[in-house]
Amino acid sequence: MQSIDNPTVESSSQKKEPERGAGETASGALRAWLDRRYQLTPLFDFLSHKQVPLGVHWMGWYYLGGITMFFFMVQVVTGVLLLMYYQPGEATAYESIHFLTTKVPFGWLIRSIHSWSAHLMIISLLLHMFSTMMLKAYRPPREVTWVSGYLLFLLTMGFGFSGYLLPWNKLAYFATTVGTNIVRSVPVLGNWLLEVLRGGQDVSINTLYRFFAAHVVILPLAFVAFIGLHLLLIQRQGMAPPLGEKVAPRGMRFFPSFALRDLLLWLACLMVLAALAVFLPYGPGIPGMDWELGDKADPLAPAYPGIKPEWYFLWEYQLLKEFPPHLFGLEGPQLCLFVIGILFVIWALIPWIDRRAYRDKPSPAFSDLGWAAILFLTYLTLMGWDVGAHHDAEQLTSMQEVARVCAWWTLAAGAVVILVRSWRFGHRWFILTGAALLQVILHGLIGVSYLLAGLISFVLAAIAILVLLYFRRSGADAAIST
Amino acid sequence: MRTILSIFAAGAIPLSALATGQTPAATDPKLVAMLEAKDANGKAVVSPEERTYFMGLNDHLRELLNRAVQQEVITSPQHLHSLLALQLRPQKMDLLLQNNCVLCHSDPEVQSGEDLFSSAPASHDSPAYMNLKDVVEDVHFRSGLSCAGCHGGDPTAQLGHNFVKEWPEKERAHNRAWVVQFCARCHSDPTFMHQFNPSLPTDQLAKFKDSPHGITLLVKRDDRAPQCISCHGVHGIRPAKDPQSKVYAQRVPETCGTCHANPKVMSGFTRPDGSPLPTNQLAEYRLSVHGQALLARGDLGAPACNDCHGNHAASPPGVAIVSRSCSTCHSANVSLFDGSKHKQAFDAHSWPECSKCHGEHAIKKTNDSMLATGPGGLCGDCHRQSAKNNPECVMTADYFRKTIHEMSETRDKVTKISDNLAAKGLDVEAINNQLTELNDALKKSRTYVHSFSRNTFQQTAAPGEEAIQKSKTLVTKARSEYKFRQIGLAASIASIGLLMLAIYLKLRQLEK
Repeated sequence: MQSIDNPTVESSSQKKEPERGAGETASGALRAWLDRRYQLTPLFDFLSHKQVPLGVHWMGWYYLGGITMFFFMVQVVTGVLLLMYYQPGEATAYESIHFLTTKVPFGWLIRSIHSWSAHLMIISLLLHMFSTMMLKAYRPPREVTWVSGYLLFLLTMGFGFSGYLLPWNKLAYFATTVGTNIVRSVPVLGNWLLEVLRGGQDVSINTLYRFFAAHVVILPLAFVAFIGLHLLLIQRQGMAPPLGEKVAPRGMRFFPSFALRDLLLWLACLMVLAALAVFLPYGPGIPGMDWELGDKADPLAPAYPGIKPEWYFLWEYQLLKEFPPHLFGLEGPQLCLFVIGILFVIWALIPWIDRRAYRDKPSPAFSDLGWAAILFLTYLTLMGWDVGAHHDAEQLTSMQEVARVCAWWTLAAGAVVILVRSWRFGHRWFILTGAALLQVILHGLIGVSYLLAGLISFVLAAIAILVLLYFRRSGADAAIST
Repeated sequence: MRTILSIFAAGAIPLSALATGQTPAATDPKLVAMLEAKDANGKAVVSPEERTYFMGLNDHLRELLNRAVQQEVITSPQHLHSLLALQLRPQKMDLLLQNNCVLCHSDPEVQSGEDLFSSAPASHDSPAYMNLKDVVEDVHFRSGLSCAGCHGGDPTAQLGHNFVKEWPEKERAHNRAWVVQFCARCHSDPTFMHQFNPSLPTDQLAKFKDSPHGITLLVKRDDRAPQCISCHGVHGIRPAKDPQSKVYAQRVPETCGTCHANPKVMSGFTRPDGSPLPTNQLAEYRLSVHGQALLARGDLGAPACNDCHGNHAASPPGVAIVSRSCSTCHSANVSLFDGSKHKQAFDAHSWPECSKCHGEHAIKKTNDSMLATGPGGLCGDCHRQSAKNNPECVMTADYFRKTIHEMSETRDKVTKISDNLAAKGLDVEAINNQLTELNDALKKSRTYVHSFSRNTFQQTAAPGEEAIQKSKTLVTKARSEYKFRQIGLAASIASIGLLMLAIYLKLRQLEK
């Protein structure tokens, strides 16, 4: 075929093909063969000289991106295998998954690994994102890498949300109904967006078709594009050296040292995945992390109590519950979406907001912001999980009782965070962590409403930061005048 | 929030404007004055909610109110307040406002004591049956029969008590036999009753007359015996299907117990054998399987007193007909019993069939230990006493018990194992199918005990015994599958581990 299309090229290359020398190995010959056609020497040179910076911080943070990518690859492979049996449709979606898990050899294993890998991917992605944030690896020139990673995070959330409905079981149906209902609160476009998302006013089989298309075509295409960009930028710019050092004092060769270590970790992850899939095939049994098929979705059945979204959406779900129906003339959910939107935008723009890291200087305030965000999410997630509620369904637990138990857990976590940061890393900037913990105390222990507690904490933190800035400015002026 | 809105709405519309003809139905100034009246403490007599309710009334109802005020049937703000406070739907308010009997008899300025209808009878020293809230819910009132339907007179006239001739002027409270005849004027007339409820029987009086209750009241002239209003109430009579009715299934035991659980009322009444009539039936029933089902679980299919004893012809089911009462629901058991050897034996001893083993009002949930042949076992005790401990019977009973016990135990055990295997991700559909088979066979077998025949029982239990074997085989298969998974996992982990070791060694070699 090639000779018909381009006989000239074929014949000229054949002419130039040299004989293999007596001492040349097969791999060397192959490399030479490829190099003549694709000029790979500069790429090989680049890769052989590529180094991973070794600095003051723990090397382990560098592997989290690779682990996340490994879980994504597992998702692709198991997803394709699932696709061979899955049939979207009112009378087939649930049935095909049921058939797959009960009758198809190793079908249960594929579904279990797909589900476990999805959750582990989100865990490793969150760890990767927060470690990048704490190490200030987003600082110039890696702002776009941060943004592309952030978009990958959003796409992963989309994967989770769209994949949840596909088995068309009862839990998925109601969780999707509750989840999609949130977009109704978007001003002006809310109803239209809801119809676009659901393919009608209610969650129906049209919604399943849409979610299926998104889960197996739209999101993977977008994900591959952004992961390509993310990897390209990382390869081009290298991994971020420790803060304050343009070039790392020492490094580790990417090939083969780092890559083989990566591979070792991937294999370890594969081991963990296999063990989890065999011993806990339906998840650990925690609400929001449980994928037992249960009953088929029935749009006419009444919703049952205790429907919760996946664990990584719990904080948003809980925040929505903390907003009253109406506030400042707006609907509560609308305002909540606005607040969530602001938080997401701030997170995306951190490389530009963090001016000290921008100038390659330590920025303790933003490290503190990262920890404050973790505590903020922890408290909301624990409340969303009803930690502290009675397990007996007939014995109702008050919201305040749940909040109190969650507050103690969050405060304990906060105390550990502050102690470790203070003693181990010598951190001295705790204003935002303090504000997050103050909100927890006010809401969980004293009983002030969540929003008021948040407002008080926010105002006090703002005052503290302004006072700090004022004294710093005065100190600097005094130093200049003397 | 609704209250706040209603207060706001009532305050926002000046009531005096109503009298000026600004609304389609002009309000009588006297009525306006009543709506705006204040008590000695300066507090509005008619509450904001009641005023809002008034504002929502249609022209017709306002006109009726105007007329009642003009004709001085409604005479005071307190009277108006008591009517508006009922917050009746328009149809009911229409009936009320066209009924001068109730209007006049609900006016505390004009009536008192036993003649006054009030929403809080106790506070006016009125009897409980003069409750205004009850009378507007009465089935007769809702059908448009009103007071005159029973008492006579003209409800549209302003005055006059032209009582029907059947209404006893005196001794109404002491000789209650008249009540039965009084209600029967309509309730025994099929043509009349057909206008209101064609499906309602009209034989209540005929049944009652021949019942022990009827004989006691009408022949023995004993006023302790119940008549219509004892069970149905007086002015607040509701259909039997209404959960607030005194004869609603779940309230029947309490209604019957008003007399039957009261030793004072029941003293002197005896059973056919001359022994005193007990008064512990209600207490026993409440703890029984039927009482628990009806009263605790709300299962309206469970029997109340009337389902076994009858309604208007209520009587104790005699020895010979106990099983007929039970067979209304437990037909299969009774049918099997009728064809068994026990039937003749029980007849010979004049034993009341079902209740001999299961009891009367204190029927407990059956259990398999009832089949025990040793001391304390139901079968054993009775047979030793009355059947000279026939070895064949003992063997049969032992076989029943052993088979049922095995099925029951296996079902419980396999159900647990199945749940456990399902949690491990194994396909337990086939096991669960066998469990369903086993459960069906177990239920049937328990019923077929009443055949007291080994062969008949064996045929029913056979599918259960087969299901036991099949489920055990399937459990073994599922366990093997799980073992295979564990071995597969171990092999995979070992392979991956070896690969990791190789990579690690290569890494060390490279880094040297």
